Amino acid sequence: MYEAKIVINKKEAENIYLLGIEIPKNVLKKFQPGQFLKIKINQRMDPLIPRPFTVHAIEENVVYILYQIVGKGTKSLSKLRKGEILEFLGPLGKPFPKLKNYVICAGGIGIAGFGFLLQKSVNKKIFYSPEMIFYGAKTKEELVRLSFLKRFGIPVKISTDDGSKGYKGIVTDMIEEEFKKDPRTVLACGPKPMLKRVAEIGKKYKAKTYLVMETFLACGTGFCMGCVIPLKRKKHAHLCIDGPTFLAEEIDFEFLS
Amino acid sequence: MLASGTWGLGENLDKFFTLKEIKENIGALVTKGISVNPRKGNPPPRTFETPCGLINSIGIENPGIKEFKRNYLPKIKSYGVPVIVNLYGEEVEEFLELSQELKGEADGLELNISCPNVKKGGLFFSYDSKTVSKLVKKVREIWKDFLAVKLSPVGPVYEIAEICEKYGADTVVVANTYPALAVLEFKPLKVLQGGLSGPAIKPLTLRLVYDISKKIKISVIGCGGIVSGKDALEYLLCGAKAFQVGTANLIDPRAPIKIIKELRSLTDGLCSKSASC
Repeated sequence: MYEAKIVINKKEAENIYLLGIEIPKNVLKKFQPGQFLKIKINQRMDPLIPRPFTVHAIEENVVYILYQIVGKGTKSLSKLRKGEILEFLGPLGKPFPKLKNYVICAGGIGIAGFGFLLQKSVNKKIFYSPEMIFYGAKTKEELVRLSFLKRFGIPVKISTDDGSKGYKGIVTDMIEEEFKKDPRTVLACGPKPMLKRVAEIGKKYKAKTYLVMETFLACGTGFCMGCVIPLKRKKHAHLCIDGPTFLAEEIDFEFLS
Repeated sequence: MLASGTWGLGENLDKFFTLKEIKENIGALVTKGISVNPRKGNPPPRTFETPCGLINSIGIENPGIKEFKRNYLPKIKSYGVPVIVNLYGEEVEEFLELSQELKGEADGLELNISCPNVKKGGLFFSYDSKTVSKLVKKVREIWKDFLAVKLSPVGPVYEIAEICEKYGADTVVVANTYPALAVLEFKPLKVLQGGLSGPAIKPLTLRLVYDISKKIKISVIGCGGIVSGKDALEYLLCGAKAFQVGTANLIDPRAPIKIIKELRSLTDGLCSKSASC
């Protein structure tokens, strides 16, 4: 693991934080959109296992992580201040697939990993820009990093469950409306029910669907085989080395916890 | 030694270590549990973190002995340190078949007796001293090289350790994970049953090592919650002749190097204070 200094750990919304850590440039060069790193708060036995986070953005020598407090690990992380040191390992996992003519669908904190994809697709060398971003949250307060997302000149379609901003309802309803007219490849990240719904919509409109999955993850290196994603094929996949992005049609949702 | 199930099937080890580092710091590689037939393992979730510990229920996911020998063992051997294959069987005959298959292919075997014995209605081998006697005796007849038995920390542990000695094991590994349970959801109740590892179990296993090493003459390998050189030293001082690092590998893949470095600096300190060094 490498040591990294915190340059920012700022509250973006209730329970949502933006963490920036300084990373050596030679390590930074290796990061691709869709990959993740695992972070350990130094020397702590509790929480014991480093937590995985997708890369939200990279600027200069700083990796930004957008995270939501969901448990003990993220709670401890949110208490750290600028100047403190933590340990990380990464990049881990496989990058996003290189897609063209596609849209992004993000639910809640699922938006986190797409910032880096937008940054990396500006020059269209390896990654291409999405044609549209569908981004849903519970309320307008939970919609974060909007000004950053809008910087890339790609239409951002917003939904909130309570209608406090954008379309009132769930993000997948907007996708379905769009796909009725023009189905396209979709890359989605968000809560499991959303991913399941995106998979159904993708199937219905014959749109290639990629899902960024989540599960309990321990090692992140393929060592423990704990982060299993059940596939319809004979063999299970392991999120940390085979993912985190999977083709929706391959996932066996019945056995997904 | 790297403990079974904590470094995959060896495919990624060289991403984190150079061959030189492996040779200089790792005494032996104990493979993931290998069974006769391939096993898909358990559905998710397979892991759950507890205070200072980790519960896992992987379900011995492995490609089976044939594919293991063909596609994984050559790479593991290429790391240049002794390879000990951890065997998983649900009846004595499976262990024997595995031992036969590995003759001349591995440097040692580690028998996992924390498995359910299907012929005895799923009773764990580790609770059944009679079956463990038969198991160790019969494997020994086939396998002449280094033979370890990885004890379960529950059941008649001391008796089983003595049986391993009596029937010819070279060493006992003390110990496997502790049977544990995590509540995942309250209503309806959803639980994860698995084995607890990590620093949380260190004092418990250390006690077993201390006691067992006094009872038997064969060597004891300590295994349980080692994350620092100090932990390793404590195991050695309490009677272990070697130690395995497990959960620490999941926290940091380079943990074994860090632990060895710390241990070396601690033992250097001990020697300088002792007249006999």
